[in-house]
Amino acid sequence: MADDIRGRSDDELRALVTRRQDLARPAPADLSALAARAGTRASIQRAVDSLDLAHLQVLEAALASGVPVRPETVTRLLGADEDDAESSGVDGSGAAVVGSLLDDLWSLGLLWRSPEGLHPARAVTEVLPHPAGLGPRAADLFVRLPDDPATTADEAPSAARAILDRLAWGPPLAVLPAGSPARVSEGARWLLEHHLVASTGADQLTLPREVALALRGGRTHRDPTLTVPAPTGTTVDQAFVDSAAGQQVTDLFVLIDELAAEWGLRPPRVLRSGGLAVRDLRRVAALLDVDEARAAFVVEVAYAAGLLADDGALEPSWAPTPAYDEWQQQPAGDRWATVARAWLGSTRAAHLVGTTPAGMTSSVNALGPDAHWPPARGLRADVLGQAAAAGEAMAVSPSTLATAVRWHRPRRVPSQLDTVVEAVLREAEWLGVTGRGALSSAGRALLAGADDDAIAAAMAAHLPEPVEHVLLQADLTAVAPGPLAGSLATFMRLVADVESRGGATVYRFTADSVRRGLDAGWSVDQVLGTLAEASPTPVPQPLEYLVRDVARRHGQARVGSVSAYVRCDDETTLGAMLADRELSALQLRRIAPTVVVSPVAADTVLGFLRDNGYAPAAETPDGGVVVPSVGRHRTPTQRSRTPVTASVVDDDLVTTLIGTMRAGEEAAAYHRDQLATRQGPALPSTDPTTTLAVLRDAAADRQAVWIGYADGEGQVRRLLFYPERVEGGRVHGTADGTTRTLSIHRVTGAAPG
Amino acid sequence: MPVPDGALIVQSDKTLLLEVDHPRAEEARRAIAPFAELERAPEHIHTYRVTPLGLWNARAAGHDAEQVVDALVTHSRYPVPHALLVDVAETMDRYGRLTLLKDDEHGLVLRTTDRPVLEEVLRHKKIKPLVGEKVDDDTVLVHPSERGHLKQELLKVGWPAEDEAGYVDGEAHRIDLDTSGWSLRPYQQQAVDGFWHGGSGVVVLPCGAGKTLVGAGAMAEAKATTLILVTNTVSARQWRDELLKRTTLTEDEIGEYSGARKEIRPVTIATYQVLTTRRKGTYTHLDLLDARDWGLIVYDEVHLLPAPIFRMTADLQARRRLGLTATLVREDGREADVFSLIGPKRYDAPWKDIEAQGYIAPADCVEVRVTLGDGERLAYAVAEPEDRYRLASCSPAKNPIVERIVKQHKGEPTLVIGQYLDQLDELAERLGADVITGETPVGQRQKLFQAFREGEIDLLVVSKVANFSIDLPEASVAIQVSGTFGSRQEEAQRLGRVLRPKGDGRTAHFYTVVSRDTVDAEFAAHRQRFLAEQGYAYRIVDADDVDATA
Repeated sequence: MADDIRGRSDDELRALVTRRQDLARPAPADLSALAARAGTRASIQRAVDSLDLAHLQVLEAALASGVPVRPETVTRLLGADEDDAESSGVDGSGAAVVGSLLDDLWSLGLLWRSPEGLHPARAVTEVLPHPAGLGPRAADLFVRLPDDPATTADEAPSAARAILDRLAWGPPLAVLPAGSPARVSEGARWLLEHHLVASTGADQLTLPREVALALRGGRTHRDPTLTVPAPTGTTVDQAFVDSAAGQQVTDLFVLIDELAAEWGLRPPRVLRSGGLAVRDLRRVAALLDVDEARAAFVVEVAYAAGLLADDGALEPSWAPTPAYDEWQQQPAGDRWATVARAWLGSTRAAHLVGTTPAGMTSSVNALGPDAHWPPARGLRADVLGQAAAAGEAMAVSPSTLATAVRWHRPRRVPSQLDTVVEAVLREAEWLGVTGRGALSSAGRALLAGADDDAIAAAMAAHLPEPVEHVLLQADLTAVAPGPLAGSLATFMRLVADVESRGGATVYRFTADSVRRGLDAGWSVDQVLGTLAEASPTPVPQPLEYLVRDVARRHGQARVGSVSAYVRCDDETTLGAMLADRELSALQLRRIAPTVVVSPVAADTVLGFLRDNGYAPAAETPDGGVVVPSVGRHRTPTQRSRTPVTASVVDDDLVTTLIGTMRAGEEAAAYHRDQLATRQGPALPSTDPTTTLAVLRDAAADRQAVWIGYADGEGQVRRLLFYPERVEGGRVHGTADGTTRTLSIHRVTGAAPG
Repeated sequence: MPVPDGALIVQSDKTLLLEVDHPRAEEARRAIAPFAELERAPEHIHTYRVTPLGLWNARAAGHDAEQVVDALVTHSRYPVPHALLVDVAETMDRYGRLTLLKDDEHGLVLRTTDRPVLEEVLRHKKIKPLVGEKVDDDTVLVHPSERGHLKQELLKVGWPAEDEAGYVDGEAHRIDLDTSGWSLRPYQQQAVDGFWHGGSGVVVLPCGAGKTLVGAGAMAEAKATTLILVTNTVSARQWRDELLKRTTLTEDEIGEYSGARKEIRPVTIATYQVLTTRRKGTYTHLDLLDARDWGLIVYDEVHLLPAPIFRMTADLQARRRLGLTATLVREDGREADVFSLIGPKRYDAPWKDIEAQGYIAPADCVEVRVTLGDGERLAYAVAEPEDRYRLASCSPAKNPIVERIVKQHKGEPTLVIGQYLDQLDELAERLGADVITGETPVGQRQKLFQAFREGEIDLLVVSKVANFSIDLPEASVAIQVSGTFGSRQEEAQRLGRVLRPKGDGRTAHFYTVVSRDTVDAEFAAHRQRFLAEQGYAYRIVDADDVDATA
């Protein structure tokens, strides 16, 4: 192989390194090093995993064909030599296609060329131990095959035939546990007697490669697929697609804005495990009037775009970020570009929210760590990439899309691919990347990696023009007949409740909503002024009345806190106090003709006033006058303290004492006995590094060690332990004949045995 | 492609917003009216709602999903959510999969065009006992007595059946309209036609728009013995008077079946109350329904139809049924029963449109807020919650305001309407007017009404009785001093009192006097919303400004 690599031209080497980028880092010193690296199992594994189905099938056929690999054999094994080209999915000459695929595999360094012909790289056989579900060769299994396995197989009794049929298309191993039905055992015996299978273990049968190929009619694959299966679907009008996408985007923005408005006021707390409580998600769904799946999507996409985050407080909660405020003021197209790009690159899988993946006990929370699923990003790109490849204005059916994705990455797709494809398409629809199932123009620009401005412009063309007015009505509703521009939207959401959403937004004014606006610092004239400005018609009388009516009562009662008050029926006295410069330290403030208040403690106020010639009296909380106790300062009544006399040593005490001492003595004696009878050396407490070193050495030398081990109840036990390997803070080995895995931090000490 | 300047905006909650001032608003309104219910009609934007019942009503009227989708897409300003269109098509598609038919051989049968649907509904526990043997894969026998119940249950499971089983003609009886000096207004004629061609169903017309005449028109079409069910005795007498005046029927042909009289004649007017009277747990007057071979049954004020009448109606599915109402909104939410048992909506006209045609008087609605005296405010603050409404409603502070308003409209026929008798008595005394309450004998009541009608007196104080189907053609001012907890239905009725056509086209006035900062004002807010939603000019003024409102 090294010779092959060394013999490659610059272009060929460039192709190799570009397509297997792991070979380039760190830079190999010379071509031999490159060859060595290209032949490592890890690198080959990577290369094989990224093959598409055509390459993979050709590679498997090549492995099955024997060394050296002959293109004709491979072509025949794949059935690509037949005239009926359709069966292999190949147009034109099957041999040519196979030939070019083999060249490609060579270019990838998975095959190498010698003067005799092509050879698979050694590690490929390790990565694909059973290529196309084929077992080892008969010679490797030490089986002497019948002359014509196919004929022999035809003569097999039905029980044996059933076993053959099960093994023919792989996997080539069968396990016959003790106690299998007699019929099965007989079938197996017949097969063994006729050398059609090999026995590779006490209860294991293996089908040799030659037999399998004979049974398969000389083919390696049942359905060789050497060309891309094109996703199919229905054609739709691109104009409809774009307008539908635009409408989805409008909806999404409203949902995000509403979510942010709600969380800005009432941020939900962050769960201890991270994420959003199920109850909070349900509340979001109710608030946004969408199902929970969509609510999870909105939350996740806003999170991915950095529009909301954990506020990092002591009691953390989810809240909009400053980036949200900036984002909200941007033109709609730019807002979309931000969100769509974030979604495309996100490793979060909103569709997992609410599901319980295998091996987990609880369901996945939105914004939680479990919704982080790195394959999501690659799969999303694959799904949309395939959809894009299907052509313009094509609403691709999810199943054919899944087939195409699977063809491109046969060894990488997750088992739940269909669910993922559906989820990606659903989210793309919600996001306006697709509309009516087909990619929108803006979605296409996004996938093509256009710059933000181009993406924004592509979407902006299909978004309704923002409106800058609302229609105010006498039934105390306001209708914004389109998406509202930034600050007006914020204002409307503040002073009115959203009643219905869609192309337009219907707001309803209530006493509560108007009060909310006033609480936020708007004055009644500002509210009415803004409304009048935003409305092409005069503000309806009932609405104006409502706002003024709420304002009339708003702030009628005031609440504040002070430390002391001074009340006096004589307003002039209070006036004098307020004017008195000596008292300025008290920061007196008049809140009623006969009341002034101070942020200073009552005692200080009293003292100050007395020092300055006033004669104030202190008041109790219920208004009574505190009787002055000047000059007769006393402590509060003290509890009596009778002296404590030491207790006498009486008989009871002595009996208890002796009992205790005897028990102590017995315990000590027992401990001595234990020390005397136990095996092995004394076990000092060793520090973890030493413990680890001792255990590692022992594992390497296959030696036993004495260790002290704290069990679940905190008791330290001595064990003679045979460690086998140390990894991840644990040591695996045997003690007392049973296999045990111990945590290193529980091992109190170790000494070689 | 949607037009960028359509008059309609489709919302995600299936409401449709119609911009009234849009040049193509009328076109859009006509396009959506068959399937969408007008929910609110304030000045700029009218809100329609698309409900399954509305869509089925449209199907019953012969519209198909394509028309509905087309109407939405054509007039929508923004792209219509695809899911909504799909939902509309699917919902509409559910109507008519099942049909009730009269089979020559087997009698009443339920037939389907879609076998799985029949299978599905037959599996329902409540539907199973209502049907008989299967005739073939698509048809199942129906016990004639269960025709109504079956329709009710089918609607509940979302597969409304189309009733094409026809009607019995009933006992023929010649009835003609006596059109000397008057004729049915165009919309009344349309309502009659709509009903007659549909077979059975509901006609929705605002109070004062002449529902009685629609009933008379329907009777003239049916030319058969007719049972008319009304809410109370006064209403019954008015029906009788109107029928005598507008049709060829004579006094001998019209019977009254009420608490006072039990006459059964070719045209019989019965009250809901007498039909629902129970003695020892059984309805004693149900025989009336079988007393004659009725060819037509008219239900006045369908939105008030009590539950027992629904049950009886379920057994009367072979008779033509006409429901008359001002609103399909039922506060008990039994709209679905009206749909399945009486029939789909056959005619509907928005109030405002009829008003614009000049048939009912335009109304000016004013809410007058009075401030309670300090003592009253304190009493209110410490009152038990259940007493608060009464306390606020009956505030003496309202009395001078009512007097002022009455004085302002002196000479115009004025009604003062309230709920609490003490308050009404006191007001009557201050105003020097007569009081009509539930306790007033019928004779006295009619005498006073007659005097009021003829202009001998121009002021009456009335209690709740005024709410239901009395006819005071010349009342042009109504002053409401207390009402039942903000009921929308009641508001519609009260407004109806003053909306009857005025001889001289004067503006009608509707005043509500409420106490500021109390539950009274909160309930008033509900009513205010309803009136504003119905498109009436609505103002709120402080008591001190009352004179300025004249």
